[in-house]
Order: sequence, then C-alpha cells, then structure tokens
Amino acid sequence: MANPMEQFAVKTIKPLEVAGYDVSFTNSSLWMLFALLAVSAFLFIGTAKPQLVPGRAQAAVEYLYDFVRKMLDENVGPEGRRFAPLIFAVFIFVLACNLLGMIPWVGSFTPTSHISVTLGLALLVFVTVCIVGFARHGLHFFSLFWPSGSGIALGAFVFVIEFLSFLSRPFTLAIRLFANMTAGHVLLKVFGTFVVTLGSFGALPYVGGILPLGVIVALTALEVLIAVVQAYVFALLASLYLNDAINLH
Amino acid sequence: MPQFDFANVFWPQVAWLAVLFVVLYFGVVRMTLPKLGKVMEQREDKIAGDIAAAKAAKETADEVDARYHAEMNASREQARAAIAAAKADAAKASEARLAEAGAKAEARVAEAEARIATAVKAAEGKLADAAAESAQAIVAKLTGVEPKLDAAKQTVAAQL
Repeated sequence: MANPMEQFAVKTIKPLEVAGYDVSFTNSSLWMLFALLAVSAFLFIGTAKPQLVPGRAQAAVEYLYDFVRKMLDENVGPEGRRFAPLIFAVFIFVLACNLLGMIPWVGSFTPTSHISVTLGLALLVFVTVCIVGFARHGLHFFSLFWPSGSGIALGAFVFVIEFLSFLSRPFTLAIRLFANMTAGHVLLKVFGTFVVTLGSFGALPYVGGILPLGVIVALTALEVLIAVVQAYVFALLASLYLNDAINLH
Repeated sequence: MPQFDFANVFWPQVAWLAVLFVVLYFGVVRMTLPKLGKVMEQREDKIAGDIAAAKAAKETADEVDARYHAEMNASREQARAAIAAAKADAAKASEARLAEAGAKAEARVAEAEARIATAVKAAEGKLADAAAESAQAIVAKLTGVEPKLDAAKQTVAAQL
C-alpha cells in the first residue's frame, strides 16, 4: 500500500544553489510554472483584442476580474480597486495551483498543499497589508488594535490579544489553505488504495472496488469545489485584511 | 509529512514562488488586466451614455406630445369660438333683416290704413252730402218748402 503522504514529496529536477541557499527546480516549481503558464494563456488570450462586446475568452477573464473587483468594492470600498490586480493575481494563482493539482494520471503536484508555498503567499498579503496600513495611517495604524470606548487596563489587555491575533493572520491564512489541500489529496489517495486493495480480493475480484470507486468520484467533485472555494476564501480574507489597513474599522 | 521538512522544502519552493509570482504579477496581470479594465469602463460609460440619450429622447418625445396636445386643444377651442361667433353673427343678421322687413311692412300697413282712413272720411263726407240732399228733397216734397242746403247739412251732421 502506497504511503498517502508520498504524493507531497518534493523531488528535485535540477539542483540549484544561490548564495548558499538551496533553490533547486523541483516538481513543486514545475507545477507552479504550469500554473503560471495556464494563467498567462488565459489572460493573454482573453485580453488579446479587448472589445466592447466581449468574445468567449474575454468574457471569461472579465467574469473573474469583475468578481474580484466586486469583492473588493463590497469589502473595502472604492479605494480597494487599486488592489484589484494584486488580489486577482493571488486568487488566480492559488486557483490554478489548486485545480492543476486535481488532474489525475499525469503525476500532478499541488504546490498549495505545501505550507511553504501558502505561507509565502500569506506573507505577501500580510506585508502588503502592513505597508498599506503604515503608509496611510502612520503609527495611528496601531489604533486598529485598540477597542474604542474602554478603560486603559481593559484596552491594553485587548490590545495585546488583538495584536497577537493580527500577527497570527498569515499563519491561519497559510494553514487553512495548506490543510484543506493536503486533507483532500490524502483522502483521495486513501480511497484510491481502497479501490486497489478491495478490488484485488481473490475470491471475488473487482466487485469490492466499486464502492470506494464511487466514493472517489464523489470526493473528486467535492475536491474541485474545495479547490475553487479555498482560492476564493484566500482572496476574500486578503481583501478583508486590506480593508482593516485602509479603513481602520 | 514532507510539508514539515522545512530544511529541504522551504527555500526551493519559496524562491521559485517569489520568482514566478513576480513574473505573474508584473509580466502577466499588470500587462493584461488594465487593458480589460479600460474596456470595461468604456462599456459602462457607453451603456450609461446610451441610457442617458434614450432618456433625453423620451423627454423630447414627451414634450412634443404635450405640445401637440396643447395645440390641438387650443385649435379646438378656437374652432369652437369661431363657430359660436359665426352663429351669433348669423342670428344677428337675420334678426336685423327681420326687423327691417317688419318695419317696411308696418310702414306699408300704416300707409294703407291712412289711405283707408281718408277714403272713409271722404266716403263719410259724401254720405253726409247725399243725406243732406236727400233730406232737402224729402223736406221739399213733404212741405213744399225747400230748406237751405247748409241748414240741412247742419241738421244731418247733428243727427249722424
């Protein structure tokens, strides 16, 4: 029985080293590159000839772009529009990584099932939020953690809690995505091994594998849904954090 | 879990993520989305402009319609007034003609009456003369004395 964790193994394709750091090109890098290529194709084809009445490709890109812009309008307000390209890039990169990882047979790897990748993306969001917050409000940005209308002692107590929760944001953001992707792929792999083990039962071959096969089909549909929903959740939380930095409550 | 083998998986992934994301953001998203955003804005503007134009056209049409109705009502009033005036004129004219004809007829009647009156007076004079002469003759026959004509005339006039 194959180890269900084996699918997350990072395999070096071309060893590289820069300034003492190991930056080898791995299967993870390869699938991030595929995600980049897929997104590039989607965007360049969709915006090759922008027209007032969009064609199919343009309408598809516009749908996603409009989706992100509406999300920012609702959660941040008119000033959120400036960050639409950034949130869009994060959203579509996570979405592409999640969905490409769902392709069976081709030995696909899901970069977003690695906490290193999700933490990298989450830190990108976190650092952006901090820069925007301090650039707009200076030290006044710390008032984000101060509860309005409370005494000094209670206020200081809440300040500490709020500050810690603010610092934990990149980790919760990263772990949410990584855990969802990892759990889904582990589950698929476990039921995949069930199909093989139960189906190879000598006295009654194949029959035992039918039920787990049905389950795996249903789970695959669920995982595709989760792949989309988690990309959305990641982008939504990023825009909520941006709202904090821009509007301070 | 290979995910927590940070010593071996962290830097290769983060480094490539950084490179690829920078390419994605500056090379792909920033190159393509603004074009699309411009077109989407143009479309919104065009739709808003078209709606405004349609609204303006509808307002003009409403205005023209209102003016048309007002003019129709005014000319209808005018026509009604003209008809009433013509009716009044006609009535006045016929009244005047009737009055004129009546006056003429009355004048003729008065003339005729005057003629009749003179004729009656003349006839009455002649009658008195005839009666006086008759009376003179009768008295002459009865008495054999012929009274004077003037006296007979006076007597007849007194008797009549």
